[in-house]
Amino acid sequence: MENDDDSKLSELLREWRVPDAPRPLDERVLGPHKPWWRFLLTGSIRIPVPVGVALAVLLFWMAGALLRPRPAAESASPSLDLVQFRPVHDLNVRVIRGHESN
Amino acid sequence: MTDAEFRGAYESHKNLLFRFARRMTGSSEAAEDLVHECFLLVWRNGAVYDRNRGSLRSFLVGVTRNLALKRIARERSFEELEDEIAACDPIDPADRQRGEVVAQAVGALPPLQREALILAEYEEMPLAEIARATGADLAAVKSRLHRARESLRRMLAPLLEPNRSLYGK
Repeated sequence: MENDDDSKLSELLREWRVPDAPRPLDERVLGPHKPWWRFLLTGSIRIPVPVGVALAVLLFWMAGALLRPRPAAESASPSLDLVQFRPVHDLNVRVIRGHESN
Repeated sequence: MTDAEFRGAYESHKNLLFRFARRMTGSSEAAEDLVHECFLLVWRNGAVYDRNRGSLRSFLVGVTRNLALKRIARERSFEELEDEIAACDPIDPADRQRGEVVAQAVGALPPLQREALILAEYEEMPLAEIARATGADLAAVKSRLHRARESLRRMLAPLLEPNRSLYGK
């Protein structure tokens, strides 16, 4: 009997509903929500020192490689002559038909 | 507590804490203030939480509960926190939503009975966890819950037994 009363009471109590936490509370606790692209302008990242040093060395090396003066190219374009040219004497042409013709 | 842990704790518990505070105080503004204050305390003194002494949920409910009781005591200095209370009269449900009547009845319970009832009935927390969160022993929680249900049955009699007229007449 008491269990029955308890379930009736529980059922009645459930009729009092309250909403979940409102959105403004998120901002109060976590700070204002920033759009993702703001990170590109104002964000910062932390990287371990060895990774940072390795990246810096790599950048210096690449900059050095780009800025180093190169030896002049031997010729702008390879010359073409027909000294070694020999015409073909016997020409056999073999025609391969496409799939559509099958 | 790291930033990511803090955010995780907030996201996982904000709704439970807000609903609990809302039902304890009867006000959404007060509930927002309490949850905000709870997480400020956690952020400033994150190290106070000890995993060995229970779940983060019971810890956060305990912090919110302490803040809510302080607020209730400040705002209604005449109200006894103790759970001994005289019999409550039935509430007249005329022309009101049943939810409102229930809210009034729960709000009329002494705070220690109210918190036990809210956590058990609405948030479905196990009694042992309620005991940890409220710093009471299990027997005290059971007794408060029993008395809260008794009082509510009396106050809500017109809704539980619609055929019976008010005040048992």
